[in-house]
Amino acid sequence: MVKAVVAEETRLKPIEDRLAQSSLPSEVGLIIGKFSSGLDRAFVFDLIPTPNNDSGDPASSISEPEKKKGSKSDTSSLFIDKDWVAEHARQVSRMLVGGMKVVGIYVWISDGAFKNSTIVLCQTVKVVAEAAVIVEAEWDERLLLHICYSPRRWSCRNCSLSSNITSSSLRPCDFKMGKVLNYLQTFKCMYNFTLRLPIFHDNASKFHTFSDVLRHAISLHAKELKGARALIDGKLVVDGEPYSTDGVHEVELLLPFTSNTPFEAFSQRDVVGILSFSGLVCSFAYLNSKEPISQAITDIKNKVFSPNFTNLVSFLVFPIPPGVTPCAQGDIIMSLQSRLDIICDEADADSGSGPDVGREASSDLSTEKPVSQCVLHLLRKGCMLPFPRRVFAPWLAGIYVCDYLQPSDTVEVLKDHCTELLSMKAPTDVSTILELEKEAISVKTKSFWDVAVPFSSAIPQHLEKSKTDDSRELTENNKSANSGHVNLMAAIFILLLSILLGFVFFLQKS
Amino acid sequence: MAAHSNRRVTLLCRPTKHLSSGSDPKAYWLVGSPFLPPLTVASLLLRLSSDDLHKESVELRTLIPKGFEVIGALAYGADADAQAAVYAARRLRKLLYGEEEGDNRPVIGAVAAGSGELKFFVSESGKSNSLEEVDSVVEEEHSEKYVWENGCLVRCELPIKLPVYYPLKNTSDVEKAFVRAIEAVVAKLRDSQAVYMLEALNKTSMDLPAPIVIRGGHLDFRADLSNIWPLAEGGDNFDVNSLPCSYFSVISKGSSGFSVENADTIQVSVLFNSLGPSSASAVPVAEYIPAQDEARLLVVDIKLDVLCYASKKLPLRHAVSRLIIPGLADQLNALQNSMLPNLLGQHPQIKPYHFSPPHVLHPITVFYELSFGETEMKQVEVRRSLHTRLGLPFDRPLLRIANALDFSKLKNGGLGSQQKGSTLLRDVHIGIPNSGVSGGSVSLVQGSYEYFHYLQDGFNDSGWGCAYRSLQTIISWFRLQNYSSIEVPSHREIQQSLVEIGDKDPSFVGTRDWIGAIELSFVLDKLLGVTCKVINVRSGAELPEKCRELALHFETQGTPIMIGGGVLAYTLLGVDYNEASGDCAFLILDPHYTGTDDLKKIVNGGWCGWKKAVDSKGKNFFLHDKFYNLLLPQRPNMV
Repeated sequence: MVKAVVAEETRLKPIEDRLAQSSLPSEVGLIIGKFSSGLDRAFVFDLIPTPNNDSGDPASSISEPEKKKGSKSDTSSLFIDKDWVAEHARQVSRMLVGGMKVVGIYVWISDGAFKNSTIVLCQTVKVVAEAAVIVEAEWDERLLLHICYSPRRWSCRNCSLSSNITSSSLRPCDFKMGKVLNYLQTFKCMYNFTLRLPIFHDNASKFHTFSDVLRHAISLHAKELKGARALIDGKLVVDGEPYSTDGVHEVELLLPFTSNTPFEAFSQRDVVGILSFSGLVCSFAYLNSKEPISQAITDIKNKVFSPNFTNLVSFLVFPIPPGVTPCAQGDIIMSLQSRLDIICDEADADSGSGPDVGREASSDLSTEKPVSQCVLHLLRKGCMLPFPRRVFAPWLAGIYVCDYLQPSDTVEVLKDHCTELLSMKAPTDVSTILELEKEAISVKTKSFWDVAVPFSSAIPQHLEKSKTDDSRELTENNKSANSGHVNLMAAIFILLLSILLGFVFFLQKS
Repeated sequence: MAAHSNRRVTLLCRPTKHLSSGSDPKAYWLVGSPFLPPLTVASLLLRLSSDDLHKESVELRTLIPKGFEVIGALAYGADADAQAAVYAARRLRKLLYGEEEGDNRPVIGAVAAGSGELKFFVSESGKSNSLEEVDSVVEEEHSEKYVWENGCLVRCELPIKLPVYYPLKNTSDVEKAFVRAIEAVVAKLRDSQAVYMLEALNKTSMDLPAPIVIRGGHLDFRADLSNIWPLAEGGDNFDVNSLPCSYFSVISKGSSGFSVENADTIQVSVLFNSLGPSSASAVPVAEYIPAQDEARLLVVDIKLDVLCYASKKLPLRHAVSRLIIPGLADQLNALQNSMLPNLLGQHPQIKPYHFSPPHVLHPITVFYELSFGETEMKQVEVRRSLHTRLGLPFDRPLLRIANALDFSKLKNGGLGSQQKGSTLLRDVHIGIPNSGVSGGSVSLVQGSYEYFHYLQDGFNDSGWGCAYRSLQTIISWFRLQNYSSIEVPSHREIQQSLVEIGDKDPSFVGTRDWIGAIELSFVLDKLLGVTCKVINVRSGAELPEKCRELALHFETQGTPIMIGGGVLAYTLLGVDYNEASGDCAFLILDPHYTGTDDLKKIVNGGWCGWKKAVDSKGKNFFLHDKFYNLLLPQRPNMV
């Protein structure tokens, strides 16, 4: 539970000034921050106003019911385009890296209107929480920050997500401004993965389309990542050892040697193909240095990972600083999920909204159908789905936000997103944009039997393949050489014969 | 005649003990270690198949822990037979460790003459045929200390679920696919992306050294084990790659005995680094590859568990590259060979276990097939053959799964005195005051038992249950020695089995009738298949005469004895007997105790203690006007 909230002064003060100078009756937006279960504290990094919706209307407005005579009390109430705010939250959360979350909403509104609108505010907090899920923390509340304009005052409340919306679901909490961004430590992880998933013939699984299977694969991989151990700057983490806030700490994840295939031992099932999913995820995570490492380990054990006992053991035995690995892991999985979401969104947009009725019937891969919607176990030929690239742009105090670019996209897309969604100034200098994930190289598709060998990427499989190819070629060459040989022999024989005959004729003549 | 070598053979085991046990000529392999001085024999393993060296190599490869190796052979015969022994040892070494290793090291050829005299010859290299006789043979007194003072154990457990894809139209290809998959695993173990994490595994979980990570890229697979370790001594900078195994030793010197169980143990986990080669740092791509023809997936469950011996001076990274990885690879190949013949038909559950049998200096590793249970004939044969090879007695189940070394116990801190959840007191005679027999020799029960006595489990049997309790104590002994896994029977169950064999009428069940030594022998026979010897004496005065016989029983059988007869029933746990003076005392465990399971109370009250036939006040412990039956359970011939 959050008892205190510390907000970044350098960010919130200008926002307050901007709001005060504007003549806006109301504004609603997202709180970007971090929740620390160890400290019972939340940190607020920035507030992002929700932009106008597609029809150009602001996300919030004040509705003033006809004033009853004699009633002096403020009866105005707030209207919020909840779906729009939620969509904003969904898009923004995709742009945040590990340790940065949409932790609630803020609202610029008068005191009276706030009091009249608690229900709609709570509802908005809930839909935002659903749209921007915080997976790894068992934190069942979000923040509701109220900036009141007369008198000018900041107040923060906890909004419980678990209970039904009543007046009691809002509880005030301590709010203060201070320095937050300066105390952030940066952790970076270049995470390579290779995943193989058999696609079964009987299709007992409920995963039909390419994207369904991928989603399943990502969730399986998330489970596997939980068992991973972490090295920071090449060293196993020692409890209590302080980490400087300067520089970027490299996180290396060590995975169990063999993946925990979810299949029963000695089960035999018919397979129609293999899904191979591999590549690099560049991941960042930010951690508040105030969180003491030993303290946070107990917090990891008590709160964050309590449902999973095996996890607890692995984290206990190999202490990992708070937030780091969970966030880095969270970020890796979140990043993969976000990219898949983007692919699916685009596919939906391409094929028109609404489920395609004839999809099941037409098993053949129609040219129009996006790859992500192919039904894998009905496919006869291979297909490939490159994920969007993750790029990073500097945001506050050197903290990065990320975005995903399709092969056809340029960094302009990133700039647009930054200004639209985060209402930040677009990075003018392109060199500040980090592009660590390289464009997918068009790999020569391997054969099924090559991919079927476990860890086949780790052993020089090509070598073996080329060997067999070579041998095949060799024999073919031999054959042709042989036949050539025969031809040559025949020619020589005929030549000799003709010479001999000619000689005989010559002799006869003479 | 062979020349004489100035080398010295050190014997850590007693070959003569092995040799005397058989009459027909046998051949043995001599086992040493690259970490011990050359020509040091740590153990003798019987050569089971005289003509098939390949079969021997297959069995020994996984049986002998890495860090120990075959260094010679012993044969019966004249001096001239030493050459054949050396030749066999060289060939076996080549099969086990490769051509180079087989040739380069000195190998011992030993011959035992019919008289029991042993002669040792050494062949310096496989390249020359000359043999030199070794005159200096030392029998090391403290062999356990010799091996474990500067040695430690390195252990790695690795469960693998291996996916094997094979084409349906040609199912025989499954074998090929399986072999390829195994090869891939071995290659991945040696990959530069593999990461080995080492940590101390110990009883005391306080202040353990921090775990160490060794990267696959830093491994040297050609390091020479017997040469590199003295070199590593010089470097004292804290470089992970030169840290020796002693980094993890936490046992203070001399605090506990030297044995496999007490050795420092380093736990190795195999992990895989996510930080791939930079060339592959491309964005994630999902690809669907359909099978060209119908295929099937078989998931093979493989459990690897390697235990190695290493000098504490050995750098950790060499322990990984030269002991752990080859050990894992050998186990993989062994499993592959045993699974291949019937990969699709059966679902073998082959699991490795480590044992530290008595009088064998090093641990051994054995694969057991668990599908059909331990008492299945095939498994009994496997154990019997291992007993033969290791020179273990055939009436002691020493290699059952329950005997296996349990490292999880170490990890959890407790040194399993309270294992299996039993709350009963064990081995209450340990630490009691001595008997007072001067110059006597003590013969005791061998192994653990549980103390059963009156009123236990809230069952009131005071006045009639003493023989039942004594029987329960005896059965607990058989249970704890792994002869049987049956539960210790209750009074009612004991009565029931007497009814079942027809000794008693059905009305006997539920009564408070006494039972005696004869009934006990029936029950032991029925429940455990144990036969008993019975000694009758007409008067308690005759009992001291039986001391010699009883002492012999404790030496050879070591089972607890039940004393029944005209009066009270006791359990006899040992005798202290001075043959010259005839003075003797009996270690009595009294089932008539009615108090709580408080060791102090039991010992102070004399419920477990030495009883002289005539005590200091002149009172007879065994009544002269009563008869006694002594029931001496015999160990069944089972392994």
